[in-house]
Amino acid sequence: MDPTRDNPLKRFTAFWIAILLVFCFGVGLIILRPLTHANSETAYDMRRDDKLAVKADIDRAQEGALNKAALQKAFDEQKKSFTTNTVVAGSMAVPGAAPVPVPVDTPADTPAE
Amino acid sequence: MTFKAFIFGLLGTFGIPWLLVVVIPYSTMRTPVPVQYEEGSQLSGAFIPSREGRITEGSKIYGQEGCYQCHTQIIRPTYAGNDVHRGEWAGLRKGPDVKVDTRRETIADDFQQEKVAHIGQSRVGPDLSNFGRRLAHYLKANKSELTSEEWILMHLYHPSDLPGYKDGAKPYDSACPSKGGLFNEIEVFGAGSGTLPVNIKAGRGVKPTDRARALASYLLSLKKDTLGNPLPEALNYNTEAPVSDK
Amino acid sequence: MAETTSTAESSDVALRSSIDRSLRHPVMFFFSSGAVWLALAIVLGLVASAKKHSPEFLSYFSWLDAGKVDAAHMSAMIYGWGFQAAFGMIIWLMARLSRKECTAAGTILWAGHVWNAVVFYGVIRIMMGEGSGIAWMEFPGEVWPVLLLCYAAITIWSLIQFQVRDAGHVFVSQWYLLAGLLWFPWIALTAWMFVFVFDGGHPLMVTGIAAWFKATLFFLFFLPTALASAYYLAPKVTGRPVYSYNIALFGFWSLAFFGPWAGMQRLMGAPIPQFLPYAGAASMVLILIPAIAVGYNVIKTVMVSREVVAESPSLRFTVSGILAFIAFGVLSMLLHTVPSMKMTQFSYSGYGLDILGIYGVFSLCAFGAIYFIVPRITRREWLSRRFITWHFYFSLYGVLAIVTCAIIGGMSQGQGIEDLSQPFSTMAGRASQFGWGVTLAWGCLLFANLSFCLHLLLMWARLGRRSSHPTLLKGHSVGNPHGPEGEIDNYTSASV
Repeated sequence: MDPTRDNPLKRFTAFWIAILLVFCFGVGLIILRPLTHANSETAYDMRRDDKLAVKADIDRAQEGALNKAALQKAFDEQKKSFTTNTVVAGSMAVPGAAPVPVPVDTPADTPAE
Repeated sequence: MTFKAFIFGLLGTFGIPWLLVVVIPYSTMRTPVPVQYEEGSQLSGAFIPSREGRITEGSKIYGQEGCYQCHTQIIRPTYAGNDVHRGEWAGLRKGPDVKVDTRRETIADDFQQEKVAHIGQSRVGPDLSNFGRRLAHYLKANKSELTSEEWILMHLYHPSDLPGYKDGAKPYDSACPSKGGLFNEIEVFGAGSGTLPVNIKAGRGVKPTDRARALASYLLSLKKDTLGNPLPEALNYNTEAPVSDK
Repeated sequence: MAETTSTAESSDVALRSSIDRSLRHPVMFFFSSGAVWLALAIVLGLVASAKKHSPEFLSYFSWLDAGKVDAAHMSAMIYGWGFQAAFGMIIWLMARLSRKECTAAGTILWAGHVWNAVVFYGVIRIMMGEGSGIAWMEFPGEVWPVLLLCYAAITIWSLIQFQVRDAGHVFVSQWYLLAGLLWFPWIALTAWMFVFVFDGGHPLMVTGIAAWFKATLFFLFFLPTALASAYYLAPKVTGRPVYSYNIALFGFWSLAFFGPWAGMQRLMGAPIPQFLPYAGAASMVLILIPAIAVGYNVIKTVMVSREVVAESPSLRFTVSGILAFIAFGVLSMLLHTVPSMKMTQFSYSGYGLDILGIYGVFSLCAFGAIYFIVPRITRREWLSRRFITWHFYFSLYGVLAIVTCAIIGGMSQGQGIEDLSQPFSTMAGRASQFGWGVTLAWGCLLFANLSFCLHLLLMWARLGRRSSHPTLLKGHSVGNPHGPEGEIDNYTSASV
């Protein structure tokens, strides 16, 4: 056995060279990842522009058709009587309104089950 | 040969195919250039394949159940095989009830939404590229009472339960194994339990699990012919197909 | 015989026996557990093959579904048997060739146990229906990093041993071992990252890279290990040098050149860049070149001592493995021309070629190595000539039968499917007939390997013969065919 060829230092460096060689292609893939996963245009991207243009048109049209002044006027009207609204037969209860007397079930009305 | 020469030789003889066969093709195929419909076509913009059904989940289950060992999903161009002309593997042929020949070869977009393309190992069973189309056509032509979903679930449960399945002139003994693990036996008290039209015992029925339904949905989505996805000219390699068939 | 050795020779013997002592635990573990996995893999292969023509067979057990059992069979064969046999061979061969003792036997043994546990876990997951669905990579994705780490823990020591070897001639086997040790992590890391880690890859390329891994796993890991063993045993057992070092180097570099391109021919006709499957098919055809080079070299080395080949179990198995490699090269060339591929691409033929590779080439060479190595590390001789003979002949029959049935059956299948006047059921019927042949052949292999596994486990339990005379397959010869170097003398101390 030739002592100069086999010593702890040589074994240590041999270990790390071996690790480097074993994992070199895995490391290579990680380094190359930005190149392999570069973005490029897909069919969905091409359709996206058309769809966004249509959406913008619709938004603009809806924005234009919205009559803000009339809406505000209606809100102001409601504000005046909001808290004093009471339940009438056939209407839904407004949250926070004064409670309404509820008709009590007589035993004769209750179905037998 | 020194160690250094050996390592460089190994890196070179491995590194070049690694780049050319694995890394570069993978990165260029990640986002292929979209194909446009030609001018004057009714459809506009870029060709986007569409498939209905639980594709991603079903494809994963297809792989886990090992279906790719016995079934393929590829219609090869004629320099590589006769698949286009084999029966109704590539689509529907012109006939009394089919007005337009819908056969075509596989294109790259046929495997959208799947993680891995189940090209398949061997053909112990038939090719499945157009299974959904074939099944619907077969059931309609034979005026069957079963829906496509019921048929495929019954096939998965027990292939020989299906009445009179024929391939060509003679009845066909399917070598497909029964996937009993995808089904549960439950007690039934009447109609509406979601069980298959199979008789096992009085008061008991066979109910597919969600895994079975996902797989069935995937299999029924396999309609890779020109009806399933109208192709732009640039992708349509197979225009005229002969009328005669077997 | 011990009295005539000189001091130099006896210190050589002392070194060899200390090397054998240092790695007896890990190597014996790998061989024994590998043999058990092989028996299990063959049982699963029998079931899988039976289900292809008789789907009702064992259909009561849903975890034994065809498809899943096929995947489990291949995984057990490759990762349970193939890798462990390879580990045992690599560790022992590199230690002996570099003349260094193994200093990390404990680490290797631990890593080997973890490997076994992980493979067992993976096979159970496959049978439960939770595999990955990708051929030859059916374990679920999270298993791979553990396997790769175990691999590093087991084999890095062999790489170190090579680097600190004494100056002098480098044996052909060492080049093959070194290459195989480096090639496997390169292909495995690449395949694992592209298939399981990176997202957004095109599904066809994921399939393609898995197919590339499948082919290169055989050409760049199992095959080099088998050839390293053959290049070691042929000169060792016959006592003659390798016929030509230059042809050996040529054989090695031609494998290195053609091997990494293989695999994508399984996707011939798929909508991927056309040069990929064509490069794969070309590579499969050109594998004939290293096959002929290696075959010629090894056969020429052993031809002068034909009686030794007949007598020595290790040499019989090894030479059969090399002949199987030549047959593999010829069949690969015939099956991968474009007209053949039209017919046989999706038939039994591919399976037949795979089995010829894994069982015919790799496993037969591995058996040869095992029959040589185990007596040296257990210091016992094989118990029964009959077991070895059964193992040999039934393996040969089994492999020949599978390959013949699969390849001829595949061609018949392919002819049936290409003939448009026949319905599909013709092809299916033909496949079924040949399928019976394949199932019976697996039965042969099961018998062969049960006797091998039993024999090996008896040796593992230290129940071998205590003797200086090796177990040979033909009578008792006066001149020991293993040569004076291979003589085991249990009754003289090593310090003479």
